Amino acid sequence: MPASTRRAAVIGGNRIPFARANGAYSRASNLDMLTATLDGLVARFGLSGERLGEVVAGAVLKHSRDFNLTREAVLGSRLDPATAAYDVQQACGTGLQAAIAVANKIALGQIESGVAGGVDTASDAPIALHDDLRRVLVRLNAAKSPVDRLKLVGQLRPGQIVPEIPQNSEPRTGLSMGEHAARTALEWGIGRAEQDELTAASHQHLAAAYDRGFFDDLVTPYLKLTKDNNLRADSSVEKLGKLKPVFGKGPDATMTAGNSTPLTDGSALVLLGSDEWAAEHRLPVLAHVVDSETAAVDYVHGPDGLLTAPVYAVPRMLARNGLTLQDFDLYEIHEAFASTVLATQKAWEDAAFAKERLGLDAPLGPIDITKLNVAGSSLAAGHPFAATGGRIVATLAKLLRERATEENKDQRGLISICAAGGQGVVAILEAKA
Amino acid sequence: MTASVDRKVTELDGPPSLGPLYARAAAGAALPGGGGRDLPAREIVRRGVSVEQEHLADYALACGFGIGGALPLTYPHVLAFPLQVVLMADRSFPLPLPGLVHLANRITAHRAVTPDETLDLRVHADRFVAHPKGAQVDLVAEARVGEELVWEGRSTYLARGAEAPADNPPGTDIAEPSTPTGTGAATWKVAGDTGRRYAAASGDVNPIHLHPLTAKAMGFPRAIAHGMWTAARAVAALQGRIPDAATYDVVFRKPLLLPSTVELVTERSGPDWSLAVRSARKPDKVHLTGRVTPA
Repeated sequence: MPASTRRAAVIGGNRIPFARANGAYSRASNLDMLTATLDGLVARFGLSGERLGEVVAGAVLKHSRDFNLTREAVLGSRLDPATAAYDVQQACGTGLQAAIAVANKIALGQIESGVAGGVDTASDAPIALHDDLRRVLVRLNAAKSPVDRLKLVGQLRPGQIVPEIPQNSEPRTGLSMGEHAARTALEWGIGRAEQDELTAASHQHLAAAYDRGFFDDLVTPYLKLTKDNNLRADSSVEKLGKLKPVFGKGPDATMTAGNSTPLTDGSALVLLGSDEWAAEHRLPVLAHVVDSETAAVDYVHGPDGLLTAPVYAVPRMLARNGLTLQDFDLYEIHEAFASTVLATQKAWEDAAFAKERLGLDAPLGPIDITKLNVAGSSLAAGHPFAATGGRIVATLAKLLRERATEENKDQRGLISICAAGGQGVVAILEAKA
Repeated sequence: MTASVDRKVTELDGPPSLGPLYARAAAGAALPGGGGRDLPAREIVRRGVSVEQEHLADYALACGFGIGGALPLTYPHVLAFPLQVVLMADRSFPLPLPGLVHLANRITAHRAVTPDETLDLRVHADRFVAHPKGAQVDLVAEARVGEELVWEGRSTYLARGAEAPADNPPGTDIAEPSTPTGTGAATWKVAGDTGRRYAAASGDVNPIHLHPLTAKAMGFPRAIAHGMWTAARAVAALQGRIPDAATYDVVFRKPLLLPSTVELVTERSGPDWSLAVRSARKPDKVHLTGRVTPA
């Protein structure tokens, strides 16, 4: 191991437009989308035939045949086939965790370059056999005699034909992510209006970013899509206010299909490297990965909400870096649900929560919301689970670079991503003036 | 090459339905007379062809391609193929469509074509010359985006026992690509329904590919794989290794009976690739040889 480390550079990114499930990408597989995204990245940065340090990506909804998804994408891409790859999976934290894994190896000097991100399709989702049927079939395959086989066939029942379709729910609680988020929203008293405001802002910011060409070097068209097709540029609080709640119960229900992310198909990757590697390849550096933290909470039997782990991860990371929550020029808080973003902020502002749960003398305090998700986030773009981290890292790195150049001042950004399983991944990026 | 020829243009409004065309051609072939002595000076044109996601996905799945940013190298062939059939099924065409044997194929992509581009397709027949076993003819297809030529295909067919006008000048045949003989890069178990799946995706519903019984009626022991399926499956294995602008030559050798287990053999020489599809059991039985070179 080297005596000192270095900060990995974020050089750029590439994603395909995100598509609402069962629409524009209904026939594309995870491998198709990931390979297309990788080839787009290779083309953008002139990496055809290059052997990179490694490619790390993953998918949340994954067929068992895709066990080596990322390696297969490398083999089908224009990268040197001698580029190593592996898969990771940490629910919605996958993309950011992959970027951290690559950045850390670069920091240690073990690799000079790497690609990280993820892909997900809710359209081409893996459907599993009914567990009883699967067990019979496995034993049938192993059975030696015809009599054994016949006995096993006798165990087959018509009801076993019903397949198991992946659910967006927690195995231990049986609650969907939306139902979990609705509990947290209720706990923090998150109102309908503020959720719809945040949602409308997300759409308006994303639309404005497209309009000014911000995504021209971050997005490659795919299958006739040039923009995320969940984006509603004319979204407004009035229009969102007409939607009926879909999560939570009774008069307190506030979460609608508008202020929750839809099931989405898509893929996103970022290119990371050492400063030296970037210079050798004449590629400009957008930002550097400063630090990261992953937290987990006991949402099953404990007091915490499913999507609240970032509330814990951020203060730990800030303390280690001697920073306050206000020391950031931009914030990217993943919009799993509008209520999640709002509840996260309320928790950071709450003195009792800081003391009792975070073990802090004072709350982290509020953030300037004019610095929050300024180019839109998941409510507008959609949220193909494992792809979201790559989208956010590339977006934030480019935003920081723009501001550092404009203001001739170092810029610092915070990323916070909540994930199923009660986990949260957060990171700090910095762009030098 | 034949720019001086003045061809009568037939414009199609939509994709022609190939089943009735094959039936008409089969009926026509059984009748006496019909068929000109030489090639008709005709061109079949279809403008504004856009790629349908379902069609592209079915084709990609049948042939082993991914659904990427660019169309598979061989995909425009299945868009142009129905236009070939329109030309060949017509009474003015000098060779009978049923029983034509695909000898060789050359495809050149001049750049990556993306699924959102609208293509103008043109097909004409060319180079109708004598072959040791009869007569051969080339069906030439091109795809343009606006004025830009993006893709070309040349399919060479043999009509056994047919005669070409003696005074037609011979063209240059596709030089037989060398046959790589190394270890197989991949083993494919080619399923019995491969012909039906490719027929559904390509529109090439020639009965020799569909079912053992229909193939037997045409003189084959079992259904045989479409040559262009084998060609597509082979070049799909080179995804990521070949440039967007490339020429892909194939020569079809022994028919690939379905089902079969075959091996793909590849060999790289600088920027060029040669490949072969051969029987897994009898390696000297070669179904296809091919070559990919940067265009």
